[in-house]
Amino acid sequence: MFDLSSTVSKVVFGLLLALIGLFLFFPLYWLIISSVKSNAELYSIVPTPFPLAPTLTHFITALTTGKLPMYLVNSLIASGSSAALNTLLALYAGYSFAKYRFTGRQPVMLFMLSAQMFPFGLLLISIYPLMSEVGLLDTRPGLILSYIVFALPVSTYMLYSYFSQVPDELIEAARADGASDLRIFHTIVIPISIPPIVTVFLYSFMWSWNDLLYSMTLIVSDDKRTIGPGLLLTYLNEVNSDWGGAMAASLLASAPIVAAFLFLQRYFIQGVTAGAVK
Amino acid sequence: MSLAADITTAPSSARVSPHAVRGGLKAGQRRIGVLLLLPAAIAFGLVILYPFLQALALSLFEYTLETPAPRFTGLANFAKIAATPDVWQAFATTAIYVFFTTTGTLILGLAWALILNQPFRGRGLLRSMSLLPWVLPSTVSAFIWGWIFNSRYGVLNALLLELGFIDMPQAWLSTSTGAMIAVIITKIWLSIPLFMAFFLAGLQNMDREQVDAARVDGANNWAILRDHVLPHLRPVLIVVVVLGVIGNLQQFDTIYALTGGGPVRATAVLSVEVYRRAFEQWDIGFASAIGVLWVATLLPPAFLYLRMLVKGA
Repeated sequence: MFDLSSTVSKVVFGLLLALIGLFLFFPLYWLIISSVKSNAELYSIVPTPFPLAPTLTHFITALTTGKLPMYLVNSLIASGSSAALNTLLALYAGYSFAKYRFTGRQPVMLFMLSAQMFPFGLLLISIYPLMSEVGLLDTRPGLILSYIVFALPVSTYMLYSYFSQVPDELIEAARADGASDLRIFHTIVIPISIPPIVTVFLYSFMWSWNDLLYSMTLIVSDDKRTIGPGLLLTYLNEVNSDWGGAMAASLLASAPIVAAFLFLQRYFIQGVTAGAVK
Repeated sequence: MSLAADITTAPSSARVSPHAVRGGLKAGQRRIGVLLLLPAAIAFGLVILYPFLQALALSLFEYTLETPAPRFTGLANFAKIAATPDVWQAFATTAIYVFFTTTGTLILGLAWALILNQPFRGRGLLRSMSLLPWVLPSTVSAFIWGWIFNSRYGVLNALLLELGFIDMPQAWLSTSTGAMIAVIITKIWLSIPLFMAFFLAGLQNMDREQVDAARVDGANNWAILRDHVLPHLRPVLIVVVVLGVIGNLQQFDTIYALTGGGPVRATAVLSVEVYRRAFEQWDIGFASAIGVLWVATLLPPAFLYLRMLVKGA
């Protein structure tokens, strides 16, 4: 796009690259090296830019003595289930919006999308008593169900955008052969829609995995607590600030989502931006 | 006989009255369409619409620990908001937070997208890595920046001292301004990737020939940016600003994990204020009333967003 043959443009480009790059990546670098520094090195007034004597103590402590593994498993259960549920719901709803015409289709779709503007914090005010009334407060099903709030509208829209591009002729041809609508969807449309389906799954998984507010409020028992509030309660609170442990635990908590993301990022970015950039 | 009748009636009726056949087919189709939508619609109604309407309604009730059965009090909660400067302050804090996070992310996200749109070695890797801040759990982002801003052992103080910008370590998170700077920077940092992704997507469908032609006509980089790139990115820019404002207006996790809304109330944006009133003071009615005004602040960007979607579809 830009011509970088002149010295001035090279310098400006290089400077911007270095400055913004530093802002984006230095915190990640600092996270990683802080996790392998000993406490003596962490708590020195002049921080060392490289770990002098790298140690895995914080990781070992986090994995063996604390409740971190339990929180990770809890998060995996809650996020995995809610992402599966959310994807399933969005799959049929998105297909319905894309390929069927019925009264109220457009208003209903817009209304579901506008739900993105309902602040999660405000919804929680009534979700809490609701869950309490039906006995789902402080239970995994309650949390899993509540997590739908985060991703259902956007997921439905992402799949709707994708399904809209599936040619009608494909469906009509199968219909002419006598296949039922559900069969067409399951055996013809879904198999060619794996990338967006994976994207939606990952998108909703990410939202639940990264959640602090809902889990912190809806889950009271420690044995069901997820990673967000688990980290906060374990490492940084009024009586305790174990920064080395916090950094190591942060890396462990980020690993699953980062790994999934790196594998699938191409689809992911397309899916997330597709809805808005036309 | 019946078979022959079927064969002859179907096309002929289609010709005479297209609605007869298509209407019949459509009715069945419509039913299937509605059935497919139903599970999501029920879930939506249960965990999104019903709680939303209930929260709106609760704003008209007194509902606290002392009055566990909600009691209708009309607009009393709103009158209480008018008489509570702390709540006004939350609105002002939110405005500051949303303005600086959105503007900061916009500028840096756009610059970063323009940089990563230039061809250079290692660009692909850099693009992938640039998305990392966005996928990290919010608690983790708060930990990272909390550690950087730490008053005693933080690397930021060490760096600023070394460079001579400050004479003594700053207690960032325990001063109003310092805490605000910290929560804003954290949010900018974690939103740059998303903004960048939008801008990159927009840049990729740009007409290269137009740029090349302008270059032949003697346009320099600045002119290309001003006359071609920015006008081309205008629609993306609007989307990004609207989505950014909506997201920043709702941000809770990183602020709560980093400062808890403090020191005192310095970083208590609306999300934190509502949370505190509802789940620390159990004044549900009052929290809902604040929430209603919060939704009101979200309406203008939400309206813009929906209008764009309608146009796009």
